[in-house]
Amino acid sequence: MIRALLARLGELLFVAFGVSVLTFLMIRLVPGDAAQVMLGASDTSPEKLAVLRHQLGLDQPLVAQYGDWIWRVLHGDFGTSAWTGMPVIDEIGGRVGVTVELTVLGLLVAVVLAIPAGCLMAAMRSSASDYAVRILSIAGVTVPSFWLGSLLLYGAGTFAPGVPLIGWVPFADAPLANLQRIILPVAAIALPVVATLARVVRAAMVEALGQDYVRTARAKGIGEALVVFRHALRNALIPFTTSLGIMAGYLFGGSVVIEQVFALPGLGRLMVGAIVERNYPLIQAAILLATAVFVVVNFVVDLVYVAIDPRARAA
Amino acid sequence: MSVRTGRLAVAALILALPIAARAQTLELATDQSPVGLDPQVATAFSTALIDSNIYEGLTAIDKDLRVIPALAASWTIAPDGLTYDFTLRDVKFHNGRAMTPDDIIKNIDRVRDPKTASPYGSRFTGIKSMEATGPHTLRVVLSAPAAPLLAQLASLAIVAPEAFAELGRKPVGTGPFRFQQWVPDTYIALDRNPGYWDQGLPKLAGLKFDIVPESATRELGITGGTYQMLPVVDASAAATLQGKPGVRILQTQDLAYSLVGFNASRAPFGKPEVREAANMAIDRSQIVQAVYFGRAAPGGPLSPALKEWALPVSDFPCYATDPAAARKKLQDAGVTLPVKLTLNVLGSLQVVVDIAQVVQAQLNKAGFDVQLNVQEQGKFIQDWRASNFEGFVSLNGGGPDPDDYFGRTFATGGATNVFKYSNPDLDKLLAAAREERDTAKRKQLYDQAQKMLACTGPVATIAYATLFAAERDNVQGFAPMPTRSLRYLRETTLAK
Repeated sequence: MIRALLARLGELLFVAFGVSVLTFLMIRLVPGDAAQVMLGASDTSPEKLAVLRHQLGLDQPLVAQYGDWIWRVLHGDFGTSAWTGMPVIDEIGGRVGVTVELTVLGLLVAVVLAIPAGCLMAAMRSSASDYAVRILSIAGVTVPSFWLGSLLLYGAGTFAPGVPLIGWVPFADAPLANLQRIILPVAAIALPVVATLARVVRAAMVEALGQDYVRTARAKGIGEALVVFRHALRNALIPFTTSLGIMAGYLFGGSVVIEQVFALPGLGRLMVGAIVERNYPLIQAAILLATAVFVVVNFVVDLVYVAIDPRARAA
Repeated sequence: MSVRTGRLAVAALILALPIAARAQTLELATDQSPVGLDPQVATAFSTALIDSNIYEGLTAIDKDLRVIPALAASWTIAPDGLTYDFTLRDVKFHNGRAMTPDDIIKNIDRVRDPKTASPYGSRFTGIKSMEATGPHTLRVVLSAPAAPLLAQLASLAIVAPEAFAELGRKPVGTGPFRFQQWVPDTYIALDRNPGYWDQGLPKLAGLKFDIVPESATRELGITGGTYQMLPVVDASAAATLQGKPGVRILQTQDLAYSLVGFNASRAPFGKPEVREAANMAIDRSQIVQAVYFGRAAPGGPLSPALKEWALPVSDFPCYATDPAAARKKLQDAGVTLPVKLTLNVLGSLQVVVDIAQVVQAQLNKAGFDVQLNVQEQGKFIQDWRASNFEGFVSLNGGGPDPDDYFGRTFATGGATNVFKYSNPDLDKLLAAAREERDTAKRKQLYDQAQKMLACTGPVATIAYATLFAAERDNVQGFAPMPTRSLRYLRETTLAK
């Protein structure tokens, strides 16, 4: 098992390396010169441009630029933001909390709602309420979260006009105000995930409930609730956990759009701003970080998988 | 969790008291980041919105578009109209250094320097010499009398010369608020300038401009009280916000206007007849209804806000929409129909994108074949500056003084004459008007200029919007301005 985990870890490092190379190349292929963007469109003095390009290291060959960057990253130095002159790691550190809170709350809401909804649909399959919930969940899967976000905004404006639901207050400063202002973004980002996960749970539960051991359990006279939650659900959780890992990445990525819609000062907006400004050090570090998160989450999912399913330990 | 406790929990969250706003800092939400904060180079509205709080000129324009003293406490003009003597106030820059007459000279020199590429440069080329005649006095001598000089000086933000190199991101001025922090695409924070020359001002502890791209978010933000002011609100949002508890809508007439700009140096708009045909094809009242929801006025080359100067649109024959006549005009001009062309569209402003679509349909009815090229702001400005377009749809800032505005926009070689328009007759008119100090005679000259520009000029002026702003009902002392300057924030207070 240790060997399997090490192999997995190796794959992860390889993915992270690949993404770092791709990111590095892609942002340099985007038209627009970082130095020119920093100077502003009006300042066309070639001397200033050359000095700035040299400062940013943009006059070096690409391979040298990449080598230099990755060498520093491996030593914990992500460079300084071209725009503010602050260490990139501090800039990201100041923003990542927002995105993490959004993602974690979104995931929490998704799990809390999706499991009961999925079980309910499976237990009552082919009934009217199953169809109703399934239609809702298909709607949830198809609706893009930014559109849902706008809809929530208009809804809140109509039904709760006097309530401060917009803005960002750090949790440490005022927990209640923080939670109140994050209700809408979390709802917008979580609902499509709830819908997707509920469908996964339903499908897995329907399969599990048709298994022999469930019939046996029922034959022994165990109550229906116990059959559903103890016997069937435990097996149904395996595909659910896999989907959860993918969805965590989806939530993290979806926060880019949601932060834009709700004007939250998170990592997503930082990245969009950095791309607009061609702020190379910041883009590279932020994308590397996002990749690392995605990769680590998947690694954790693998671990959880092993914990749930004894068969996986043998592999 | 039972349904009941669930409801209680939600109610508890919603009832949670809004956190007390940090003492007297006004939080504003605006739709886009400034393109840079150098007030002498960047002319975008998004820049002026912030800079109008950090910088001042020797003079200022008040909300009735009159010239009033600012950094210059007073001035005298010699009878020949050539020599201006300014007495400067005792003012400190935000970095603590006292402002001297030499600083003003350095600012004017920087703006005039072609290397600065300032759109305001041409306003000050008529200055022959400048001299510090005392610790607080400055003499400016012109090569020819120029009536609009005092109004133009209001547009020249005085910056600390030692900060020239980094103005785009670290502004240092003399204004009521000091630059504090810019978190890209998130917010810009300003704090009170404790050494501001106007005793007792500003009254607020600071300003925070949140960058909030989504209109619905700004609206919910002000109805919920997160933001105390939306300095720019479009017509549809103003209609939504009207009557919401706790929100007040303010309005004024815009000096800026929506336009279709033509490149007069290349086909197809190189021919005046094609420009005139486009004017005849465009139905301005339809655009006012469809895009501005009626909250705008079709206008000619000058804003209706300039009551003493602007001619009514009924004076311009090409404003009577007639697609058939437009088509005939094109045929008579000898161009092949349909006239294919591409319009660049400033994509960051929804109103512009909407106008472009209506204009496209209207032009296509009159024998044009229009492609729209909706561009990101940076790219649009780059092409605009380089005259790299056949035509474009955008918003353009007007000015409180016709000479200044006409001169830089339409005179041959004017600083923002990106149209490459050159009309010797117009140049002569503008030169004559510039030296004319008799207001009635000046007005006659500008009437002629307006008629000359309205139909065959390089711009089809569409409409001057009613400008809306929204504020919470505890905001006091603010007034919106036709120039979009936020000058009155210095007198604004927040009631508890």
